Amino acid sequence: MFFHIVLERNMQLHPRFFGRNLRENIVSKLMKDVEGTCSGRHGFVVAITGIENIGKGLIRDGTGFVTFPVKYQCVVFRPFKGEILEAVVTMVNKMGFFAEAGPVQIFVSNHLIPDDMEFQTGDMPNYTTSDGSVKIQKDSEVRLKIIGTRVDATEIVCASNLSFCSLLTYNGYNGIVGTFYSGSCAQGKY
Amino acid sequence: MSGEEEENAAELKIGDDFLKAKCLMNCEVSLILEHKYEQLQQMSDDPMNQVSQVFEKSLQYVKRFSRYKNPDAVRQVRDRYQLAEFELCVLGNLCPETVEEAIAMVPSIKTKGRAHDDEAIDKMLNDLSLIKKFE
Repeated sequence: MFFHIVLERNMQLHPRFFGRNLRENIVSKLMKDVEGTCSGRHGFVVAITGIENIGKGLIRDGTGFVTFPVKYQCVVFRPFKGEILEAVVTMVNKMGFFAEAGPVQIFVSNHLIPDDMEFQTGDMPNYTTSDGSVKIQKDSEVRLKIIGTRVDATEIVCASNLSFCSLLTYNGYNGIVGTFYSGSCAQGKY
Repeated sequence: MSGEEEENAAELKIGDDFLKAKCLMNCEVSLILEHKYEQLQQMSDDPMNQVSQVFEKSLQYVKRFSRYKNPDAVRQVRDRYQLAEFELCVLGNLCPETVEEAIAMVPSIKTKGRAHDDEAIDKMLNDLSLIKKFE
């Protein structure tokens, strides 16, 4: 889910940025530093939308750097356990499939794909129901339920363990096709 | 990280930070991001170079999964039925058509002794679909 949230950060600024454009410099440095990052607590920072206030700077002894506490509003994307969301399938293999919901990578293990769906190899690997009415392949849109998340501290990659709550594949159509499966929950690792 | 363990969106346990924060539906995010993208476009010729991958992916995602063109109307539904921000946004993003579906997506609307019987939920879904029809 996307949120509009107020966050705070202490910005350290080199003295060469001081002057008339101090505020602009702080803001542009903040955008450079923060946008696109990911933390376990707040999720992905997608875009800064506004600055609430910039506090008084504090000169650091010995270096001349100044620390400014900055409060800013931003749009974040944070996946929650138990949340249901839509995602676009990016890769299908016999272990399951990968999907993307915005910046978040999601893996759905084949244990969590409904039993009546079979893996089909070929040019376009896919999962298909026995009657062929529902097909999951690259670029399909699926609805899924998140059963767990993991955040990598070193990389800006967020991963989720997924359960299939509902399988409403649209395959690019507007209406909802498929039936509603209630979720079984198991752990998969990504 | 005990807070992390208890997190469960189905029971509306999403942490204080996020319960207080404003939830955004995909269509709202799409408005915000496109506006920002336009601003960047004015400043430089090649805005795709300026934005982070996270921004780019989010923009593509919300454009693809945008449901409403008029998010304010959806907000009114929230006031009428006393939904939490998070619940409304899930409903607004997924647009369930039946009561059963809605409850499966947002189990918390049925709990906590709130006065949401099936009839009320059905009415709410109706209101939402009307907004979509008449925009």
